[in-house]
Amino acid sequence: MTVLFRAFAPILVVTLAACGSDPAPGPTEQIVVRESGTEAPDSDATSPAAETNDSLIAAGKAAFNTCIACHVVEKGGANRVGPNLYGIVGQAAASVEGFNYSDALTSSGITWTKEELDSYIANPAARVPGTTMMAGAITDTGRREAIIAYIEDASAN
Amino acid sequence: MTDTKTSETAPKKGKWTRRAFIGAGVVAGGALVIGVAVRPDNPVERLSPMVARGKGEQLINAWVKVDADNIVTAIIPHVEMGQGVFTSLAQMLADELDADWSKVRILEAPADAKYVSHDIGREFLAPNLEVPAILEPTVGGTFLQLATAMNLQITGGSFSVRGTGQRAMRVAGAAAKEMLIAAAAEEWNVPAGELRAENSMILHDKSSKSAPFADFAAAAAEQGLPNKPKLKSPKDYKLMGKAMARHDIPEKSNGTALFGIDADLPGMKYAAVKAAPVVGATVESMNVDTAKSMPGVLQILNMGDFIAVVADGYWQAQQALGTIDAKYSKTEGDTLNQDALFARYASVLDEAGDEGGDVETEQGDVTEAFANAATKVEAEYKVPFLAHATMEPMNCTAWVRDGKCDVWSGHQAPLMARKAAADTLGIDTDDVTYHNAYLGGGFGRRSENDAIIMATRIAKATQYPVKMIWSREEDTMQDHYRPSATSRFQAGLDKDGNAVSWSNIHTHLFDPQEAPTVPYYNIANHKIRKIDVPTHLRFGPWRSVDHSQHGYFIESFVDELAHAAGKDGYAYRRELLAGSKRHLAVLDKAAEMSGWDKPLPEGHGRGIAFVPSFGTIVAEVAEVDMTGAKPKVKKIYVAADPGFAVNPDGFAAQMESSIAYGLTATLYGEISVKNGAVQQSNFHDYPILRINEMPEVEVGIINGDHKRLGGAGEPGLPPLAPAVTNAIFAATGKRVRELPLSKVDFA
Repeated sequence: MTVLFRAFAPILVVTLAACGSDPAPGPTEQIVVRESGTEAPDSDATSPAAETNDSLIAAGKAAFNTCIACHVVEKGGANRVGPNLYGIVGQAAASVEGFNYSDALTSSGITWTKEELDSYIANPAARVPGTTMMAGAITDTGRREAIIAYIEDASAN
Repeated sequence: MTDTKTSETAPKKGKWTRRAFIGAGVVAGGALVIGVAVRPDNPVERLSPMVARGKGEQLINAWVKVDADNIVTAIIPHVEMGQGVFTSLAQMLADELDADWSKVRILEAPADAKYVSHDIGREFLAPNLEVPAILEPTVGGTFLQLATAMNLQITGGSFSVRGTGQRAMRVAGAAAKEMLIAAAAEEWNVPAGELRAENSMILHDKSSKSAPFADFAAAAAEQGLPNKPKLKSPKDYKLMGKAMARHDIPEKSNGTALFGIDADLPGMKYAAVKAAPVVGATVESMNVDTAKSMPGVLQILNMGDFIAVVADGYWQAQQALGTIDAKYSKTEGDTLNQDALFARYASVLDEAGDEGGDVETEQGDVTEAFANAATKVEAEYKVPFLAHATMEPMNCTAWVRDGKCDVWSGHQAPLMARKAAADTLGIDTDDVTYHNAYLGGGFGRRSENDAIIMATRIAKATQYPVKMIWSREEDTMQDHYRPSATSRFQAGLDKDGNAVSWSNIHTHLFDPQEAPTVPYYNIANHKIRKIDVPTHLRFGPWRSVDHSQHGYFIESFVDELAHAAGKDGYAYRRELLAGSKRHLAVLDKAAEMSGWDKPLPEGHGRGIAFVPSFGTIVAEVAEVDMTGAKPKVKKIYVAADPGFAVNPDGFAAQMESSIAYGLTATLYGEISVKNGAVQQSNFHDYPILRINEMPEVEVGIINGDHKRLGGAGEPGLPPLAPAVTNAIFAATGKRVRELPLSKVDFA
C-alpha cells in the first residue's frame, strides 16, 4: 500500500483542537464581479490579438498556447518546466541561465537559428535524441513559423 | 442466475448522500451484509440503507454483501491512492469467504463513523496491548469507540493489509461464510458441519446439493455474528499469496477512473488560490484592477490567509489570479533562510552537549563505553525539507447551502475531512456529506485538511458549487513538508571493530517513535536523544515519515563503522544482526541477489542498507555507476520480509514505487527557505525522477511469519538513500553526509 504514515499524534492534536472551535473566518474582502448564471462579457472584443496588425505574430501568439504550460517568453521571466524563451532566436542551445538541461541538449552544439528551431519543434526527440522536452512536436509548418515569429516579436519587447 | 464475467470489476465509488443515510430502512429485495465480529452487534439494518440499496442486495455483515446474481461485494474501509489496497483487502475477505473471485466487486466504505479503521486507533492508543491471538475477533470494541471519537478512518502507516485486512477483512469473510452455512443448514435441514463453501456456492457433498450464496443471503443476515470465526491456515489459502490482478487497473488504463479533481456538478464554478508565501502571514491588500475585468471572473476573495479568484473556468481563474498584486503582513518567519536554519540546528545540538535534549531510548552506559573504546567514530548528517509532489495537485470541491454542505475530494481520512468541513462551517458533521474519490497520490499529503477547509470557506462565501484546484506552484510552496533535520552520531568500537557504544542526537521527532532506534543491532550501550527546533513551516507525514531521515542517517553511520573497523558493509551488518534469524535471512537474500562478492566494473560501486519499518524487514543493495559527471543508479536489489505478502505483485510494485519516490528525494529532493518562503515552485526546480533514470529493480520476498504481517507502502523507501550513498562511497571513497546528491560535487 501506500503510503503513508502513522503520524497520529499531530492528527490528534489538530482534531481535538478543532472541537468546539468557532467556524473559520469568511472573506475580509469579497468582490463580486458578476453573479453566477449571468452572461460573461464577450472577451474576444478586447483580445490583445485583435489589436495587432501582424497576423502571423497574432497566429503565433495563439499557437503558443500549446507551449505556455512549460514556457514563458518574458524578459527576466522565470524558467518553468521548460526554459524562458526570451531572446532564444540566435542563442546557443542550453544557454538559458538556471535551467537544468538534458545532457543531450547541452552537448548538441546547436545554435537556435529559425531553421534549427523549426526543425527542433517539429519533433524534439528526433532532432535531439535524449532531450527532456517531451511535448511540443508541432507538425504544421505554418504553426511552427508563426510560433517562431511570435517568440521573436515578444523578445523584442 | 445471471452469469457474470470478470469484466465490470471496477470498484464502485461510494456516493453517500445524506438522503440515502436517513432514508427509509427498507431495502429492496433485502441484502446480506456482514458486520465484522469485532462489533458487538450485527449492524446490517443500520448500514444497509447506506451500502446495500441495490435491487436484490443483502448485507451479511458490515463488510460483505451478496446480490441476487451471486455477486459478492467487499466493502473496504480504506482509500485507494494507487497502492492497490482495494484488491489486497478484497482478496483477504474473498479467500476466507470462499467466494468466486471473478464475481467479487469492491465498494469503498462511506465516510461514516461505523466504518472507521479502528485498528489504527488501537495501535496509537495502546500500542503495547497484548492481543493473545493476533486475529482475536472480539478485541477492539473499546477502541472502536475511541477511534470513532477521533475521527479515524485513515489510510496510512502502511497499515491497511496488516491491520484492517488481518483483523477485519478476513474475520468478516470467515464470519459471512459461517452465517451462510448456518442459514443453508437450516434450509436444508442438515448439520452445518456437513456443509462447505466453494466458489460462492454452498455445497452439501452427501446429497450432492449445491446452491449459490445468494439463496441464503437474507437468512444469513438473521444469524448471530459468530464469536470467533475460524480462519484459514496458509495451506488452505486460495487467493491470499497470489498475484491477483488489480481491480482498478482497467478504469485507470482507459481513463474512466474518477479522482477528486474530476468532480463535476451542474453550475459548478472554479477557484484558483494563492496563499501568503510565508506561512502565517495574511493578505493586507490586493490590487485587483486587471483581474476584475478579465474574462470569466465571478468573484475575487481576500480570505485573509489566501486569495481566491472564482471564475467560469479554471484557466480564467488562474490567469486572473496571476494579475493580482498583493501585499502581505510581516511575520517572524520572514527572516528565516535555509542556511540559518541549519546553523540553528547546529547551535541547538551544540548546546545540548552530552546530556541535553529528550532521551528517547537508553541502555547501558555510553559515556563509559565510548571513553574506553579503541576506535571512536563521529559523523553528522543533514537532510532537507521535502514536498510530496503528488501527481494530482491538491483540490477540493464544495457546495454550501441551506445549512448543509457537500464536499468532494480524495482524502486519506474521509471522516477527518468531513469533520474539518463541519468545523469550518460551524455545523454538525451529520450535515456534511463527504464524497471520496480516488487519490492521485497521497504519500501523507492527503491526510491534511487544509484544502478541504479552504474549499469549504470559498464555497460558503459563494453559496454555489466551487471546485478549488491548486496550481503546481501552490502545491510545491504550500505543502506540509517532511522536516529538514540534522543528526549527529558518536560510536565506539573495541579492538576487533565491534560497536560497543552508539550515541545519537537529532532534531525533530515526528513519528514513528522507533524510527531513530536500532534495537535489532547488537550494541550493548546506546543512547538516543532528540531536540525539537520549531519553525513556522508546516510539517507533515511523508512516505515512511521519520524513517525517511533516520534510515539514511543510521545506515550511513553503520557503513562508516564498518569502514572504520576495516570490514565489508554486508559482513559488518551480519555481525550486528547475529542471532536474529529473520533479519539475517533478509540481509543475506539481498546480498545473494546482488552477487555481493562479484567484482564490478571500474568506477562502479555496491552499497547495502537494512531498515525494518512498519512491520516489514527490508534490505536493499544499490549498484551505482560513478564514471560520469553525476551518479547513475543502475540497479536496486530489494529483499523484504512482510510476514506474508498477500498480493506479491502488489507488494513488489510498492517496493518499486518506494524506490522511484526515494530516489527522487535522494538525487534531487530539496525544499529550501528564503526570507521565510519556499524557493521551489514546480518540477523545473523540484524535479521528479525521469523514466530514463529509473534503475532496474529486482524484488525478493520472504514470507517469514504469516501471523504477523508487515506493511508494503513505506518500508521499501528508508534503505534506498543509504544503499545509494554507501555505493557511492564504495566506488569513490567519498562519503555523502548531506542530501540531495545534486548538491554534491563529484568532480
